[in-house]
Amino acid sequence: MVANDRDFYGDEWGERTSTVLDADELVLNMGPQHPSTHGVLRVILKLDGEKVLGTECVIGYLHRGVEKIGESRTYTMFAPYVDRMDYVAAVSNGLGYCQAVETLINVEAPPRAQYIRVILAELQRIASHQVWLGTHALDIGAMTPLFYTFRDREEILKVFEKYCGARLTTHAFRIGGCQYDTYDGFEKEVKKLCDFMEPKFGEYEELLTTNRIWVERTKGVGILNGDDCKALGVTGPVLRAAGVKWDLRKAQPYAAYPKMDFEIPVGENGDTYDRYMVRIKELHQSLRIIRQAVDSIPAGPIMAKVPKVLKPPVGEIYHSIEAPKGELGYFIVSDASLQPYRMRIRPPSFINLQALDKMVRGMLVADVVAVIGTLDIVLGEVDR
Amino acid sequence: MLNYLTGYLSNTTDTPGVAGSNLWALIYILIIFAGVSGFVVLMNWGERKLLAHFQIRLGPMRVGPHGLLQPIADAVKLLTKEDVLPDGADTVIFRFAPVWVLLTAFTTMIVIPFGPQHAVTDMNIGILFMLGVSSLGVLGIIMAGWASNSHYPLLGSLRSSAQMVSYEVAMGLAIVSAVMMTSFTAGWDGAGTLSMVKIVEAQRLQGTWFIFKFFPLGFVAFAIFAIAMIAETNRAPFDLPEAESELVAGFHTEYSGLRWSFFMLAEYAGMFAVSSIATTLWLGGWLRPFPNLLAGKTWDMAFAMFPGVLVILVGFAAFYNAAKMPKHPAMKPQVVGLWVLGLVVVAVGLLMVMPPVALKISDIAWFVLKIGFFMYLYVWYRATFPRYRFDQLMKVGWKVLLPISLGVLVVTGIVGLTPELWAWMGGGR
Amino acid sequence: MKVVTLLRKVFLVDLLKGLRVTFKYQHPKEIYTEQYPLERPQIAERYRGLPRMNVNPETGETLCIACDLCAKACPEHLIVVESERDPVTKRKVMTKFTFDVSRCMFCGLCEEACSTDCLELSQDFEIATFDRNQFIFDRKRLEQGPEGTEYTR
Repeated sequence: MVANDRDFYGDEWGERTSTVLDADELVLNMGPQHPSTHGVLRVILKLDGEKVLGTECVIGYLHRGVEKIGESRTYTMFAPYVDRMDYVAAVSNGLGYCQAVETLINVEAPPRAQYIRVILAELQRIASHQVWLGTHALDIGAMTPLFYTFRDREEILKVFEKYCGARLTTHAFRIGGCQYDTYDGFEKEVKKLCDFMEPKFGEYEELLTTNRIWVERTKGVGILNGDDCKALGVTGPVLRAAGVKWDLRKAQPYAAYPKMDFEIPVGENGDTYDRYMVRIKELHQSLRIIRQAVDSIPAGPIMAKVPKVLKPPVGEIYHSIEAPKGELGYFIVSDASLQPYRMRIRPPSFINLQALDKMVRGMLVADVVAVIGTLDIVLGEVDR
Repeated sequence: MLNYLTGYLSNTTDTPGVAGSNLWALIYILIIFAGVSGFVVLMNWGERKLLAHFQIRLGPMRVGPHGLLQPIADAVKLLTKEDVLPDGADTVIFRFAPVWVLLTAFTTMIVIPFGPQHAVTDMNIGILFMLGVSSLGVLGIIMAGWASNSHYPLLGSLRSSAQMVSYEVAMGLAIVSAVMMTSFTAGWDGAGTLSMVKIVEAQRLQGTWFIFKFFPLGFVAFAIFAIAMIAETNRAPFDLPEAESELVAGFHTEYSGLRWSFFMLAEYAGMFAVSSIATTLWLGGWLRPFPNLLAGKTWDMAFAMFPGVLVILVGFAAFYNAAKMPKHPAMKPQVVGLWVLGLVVVAVGLLMVMPPVALKISDIAWFVLKIGFFMYLYVWYRATFPRYRFDQLMKVGWKVLLPISLGVLVVTGIVGLTPELWAWMGGGR
Repeated sequence: MKVVTLLRKVFLVDLLKGLRVTFKYQHPKEIYTEQYPLERPQIAERYRGLPRMNVNPETGETLCIACDLCAKACPEHLIVVESERDPVTKRKVMTKFTFDVSRCMFCGLCEEACSTDCLELSQDFEIATFDRNQFIFDRKRLEQGPEGTEYTR
């Protein structure tokens, strides 16, 4: 990056001293409030006319101290806070946390709970990708896919509401399994949902995939090849679009994924179009997983034997899952007391955001918005 | 005196300007001004509702019945906003730019032919006048961007003006090929015309709308014009200069309140103007469809009554929606209002359907219907397509539309002159 | 193959496909908006809304036994339960119960912790008030339960 702030900004931090049309380098501020919202993210661009020379992301506008809060809450109490990080995919956050703590206290959730977890996590993946698709298309100018994807997402949120009582901040799972068993008609409703969703995905593709304007806006834009991804620690669909076939559901399987049969879509060039295609294909694969899981939920208990008052042994654990945005990891250090000593969360959006600078060098200003959209960042996760 | 007032009315062939009646020209100007303003208000509501329906939502519903009073609420809001002048802005030019843009947008309406004598005047360079005056509007945009003293509007206005200028080339060439088609009218001795009324006359005499002439040449020219006119009016998918999710928010960033509403008015008036060019040149202006296939006086009457029937159907739609409105007591004024509106619309429709009235206004009605079709297309495109990036936009304008329009021009010329060419080559002179 | 792609490009097939999709959705039956005050949404049974304290339907007495488990379970420590020991039955009787809804995140941990079926998160989601103090629910408000909101305009 840059040596120091003065080097990059010229004079005062964040202020330009040159007047309009004076220097050939322009420092432009995409402020915390801007219409192509992805939350409160500030991006300072250094431009040469239209071309981007460098970027600097300023984050922290949504910092709520979640990790610090984790140090003063018991393990059970902390679970609702975790949903609020990546608020678009709350179930995945909860899943990662519960699995991390279960690994720490050496408890395994019963098979029925594993299946329920997989079904809900995949539904959440579809919902998260739908939000991504809608907002990304909106940034590029197509207004209607937003409404179509949100409408379809409503059906998923209805299932969540019926299951755990909330649509967005679900708090769906507990340490040791699931609190709620499936409601009456869950399997039938989820199957109907899958049949409802599949043609809708075809519609999103009809609107965008071959549309010449979309292709021109996204092909060759924001290229990030596999080596750069690995060097920066980028995971998730961004990594897979670059050609690296790495998905934690296959590489380090958890929950009921070993029993599921699905593919990992991989891209070629690592540009925005490939990331779009990878996520669309992931939507279809998620449907496949959900259908298999719903057909084969075993009967049985949904909660393992977990002590009421959780005092894990001294130790540390890092457990990660494949959240819709990438590898979501929990590093918990326990000192045998009720509260964790350190609750560190590895947010995929934060790490993926690092790649922004590399991806937009040499691109035009209009592409910056497209690239931020394609990284699929949620500021709740970036700032925690 | 009375003679002066009614002298024009006995003239059934010419527009007021040509006939020399300044009074009636003024009256027509006022009618067109009021009409276009009313159109803009309607279009504001229509765009929001139509866009909403494309996006599976409802649009404004609360302000009036089904949001019909929404444009009035917007107008009140805009009129009561604070008049902000940016610091360091050139105040004279800042104030003048919206006026200029509005001026040029409305001046083009002088030659729009709603009927053979329903235009303010029929200049013999009508189409050239429209093209020229709408190009003058670009100056207003540059003035607006410059006077704002802020680099966002400046960049936006420069981009916008570059876009408009580049697409005017393709527009112009498409227009030339249509004008060339007018010269193939039998009895005109190979003389084409730039006059808007005579272009429609040429289509009537040739018995075919130019969109279908020398198929597919007319259609391709129309398609090029249809694409170029969207870029000309800065609408999706060519609306990067005024897009909200891009960095540069466009030349009207610093304008608020009434000044901004002038820009909005000018945008819709510009849409109206280019749609009317397209209608006049390719879609046969005020002519009814199927003049040859369904000929005869009864068919004439049927087609003349068609717009009135449409209006009656709109009235019935108002009744239907009024009946379906929720029964909450707070909605009562809206329900009553919608019933009254439905009654008024049905009354107007019945008036339009009466044979003497229908024959008199069928020209204007058909012209407006065709313009409505273009407006629908505008909103449909806005709902569907993503936005072009600026360099891609310029590439489309210069590298795609321009060569195609040149090709169409040349081929139209060759095809049209073929009998003469053959006669000249074979028969010898 | 190349000819087909060229024809597709010339005839703007991809753009027309997109236009067809949006055209199809114009039909009024596709509209997904619900006009809120006039049409209320359907809430699931397990929905976690405003808290409520249940009473014994026959006797009208509260079901709360002042076990204080809900207060201990709450991540935000916003439940305060005061009790006193009844000299006759030697059981704890709840005297004061305060729930600060303004800081509540509706996580449902209190509902799960309650040993009787007393504390429950109801389906009420219309919780706007004009004054922050109205968000501190006392026992009376909690037992009253959700009250519907009537919109006049």
